[in-house]
Amino acid sequence: MLSRDRRDRALPTFVTLLVIGLLLMTFDVRLEGGGVVGSLRSGTQTLLAPVQKAAATVVNPVGDLIDSLSNVASLREENQILEAELAAAIAALVAVQDDLARLDVLEQLYSLDIGEASIGRTEANVIGRPDAFDQGFIIDKGTRDGVLPGQPVIDVNGYVVGRVKDASPATATVVPINVSRAGIAVLVGAQIGSLTPQPLTSDMRLDIREAREPILGGDRVVTSSASAAYPAGLAIGEVIEDAAPQNGSLTAEVRPFVEPGALRVVVVLAWPPDPIATVTDEPEVSTSTAPGSSTTGAGDASSTTGGEGQ
Amino acid sequence: MRLRPLISVGFLILFAVVIQTTLFGRIEAITPDLVMLSSILFALTRIRPEAVLGLAFVSGLIIDLIGTSLLGLRGIVFTIVAYIAVRTRDRADIGRVVIGLWAGLLSLVGVLAILFIGTLFGQSTLLGSGTQWEVLLVPLSNTVIAMLVAPLFVRLVDGQRPSLGFV
Repeated sequence: MLSRDRRDRALPTFVTLLVIGLLLMTFDVRLEGGGVVGSLRSGTQTLLAPVQKAAATVVNPVGDLIDSLSNVASLREENQILEAELAAAIAALVAVQDDLARLDVLEQLYSLDIGEASIGRTEANVIGRPDAFDQGFIIDKGTRDGVLPGQPVIDVNGYVVGRVKDASPATATVVPINVSRAGIAVLVGAQIGSLTPQPLTSDMRLDIREAREPILGGDRVVTSSASAAYPAGLAIGEVIEDAAPQNGSLTAEVRPFVEPGALRVVVVLAWPPDPIATVTDEPEVSTSTAPGSSTTGAGDASSTTGGEGQ
Repeated sequence: MRLRPLISVGFLILFAVVIQTTLFGRIEAITPDLVMLSSILFALTRIRPEAVLGLAFVSGLIIDLIGTSLLGLRGIVFTIVAYIAVRTRDRADIGRVVIGLWAGLLSLVGVLAILFIGTLFGQSTLLGSGTQWEVLLVPLSNTVIAMLVAPLFVRLVDGQRPSLGFV
């Protein structure tokens, strides 16, 4: 074992391992991450989770320190931008408070009682990433905490991050929307479109098939009730540049609000509320009912573009 | 495999996996691929070449299992990298700088292979924003780390008589 002077069996071993690797990849593609492969993933994550959590506790301050040092040059500029954004947000908040007051008055006037949709929320810490090329990340909550594959993930501000791909009892892996193979049915103003990721950029592509009116840079893109994978009304990003319909369709670039690499804490939503619907992960027409709300979805954009895989 | 090298190897792989997925998963400026690097550096030890390939394959599988891409992708890539490392290790065993450059070049082969094979198998999660920079940053980081830790790594695996010629 500890000598270099012996018969060379490296080549046969190499070829054998390549064949095994290719077989594993084929199995994984065919099983779509489920079956034996899913169990293997879950088992490995379960075994590594305690070590990763312990290591994350120790290395997080070190990571923060190094991150801060590398970002120190841009902090002043970022502060100024944030101050400007804060001023704009305060102005918008005042306007919203006016609207809320009027809404209260109107609700009382018409004796409306609007029930709040209750979606379970599980806060989780981001404890790591597999490597530099895997854009997914690992969170410290798993099936023990009610986190299941397919559930949507948002950040603490309520912006869409992505979906849970795999979950072990103690951890789960999340695929961000800007690298997920699945598209999302979205709403821009009153128009429904599909949002799909693009390679080598975090910006996403918005397609509106039956566009009736132009969209403007800065328009908010939110999840549509036509999406079975996400609750309606979650903010995803904003349109980068104005775009007008051409031959009845419209294409534009959308910049997501969330930068997945910078996330430290995320929130997993118990959506759809029926866990069986989540696990089966059907991209076809589905109907799910939350307390106080009802959503009928035609599947995500992926259902028309070739699968719900992530 | 005797017990001591087995424990050392197991510890080093676990250490590489945990540090890569936690510490280096958070720092954007420094992005080594420690698990790939350990697969390369195992070629410098007295471990049999076929065992080096097996270790590289298993290390890759572990990363595949905790990640979101296809099972077997990194297993194959790390095995390819380890095979080239086994075949070329005699040329690298000159000094720290050469080992660093050798490990960096092999890492470049590895990251390009990950992107190429991953794209062939439709792995969209590999082509996120900044991937073009990672193709350069990962080999560069691995070069520096290999220069710093290669002799220590080999000593940890081999024990008292490391197989490196220049030590």
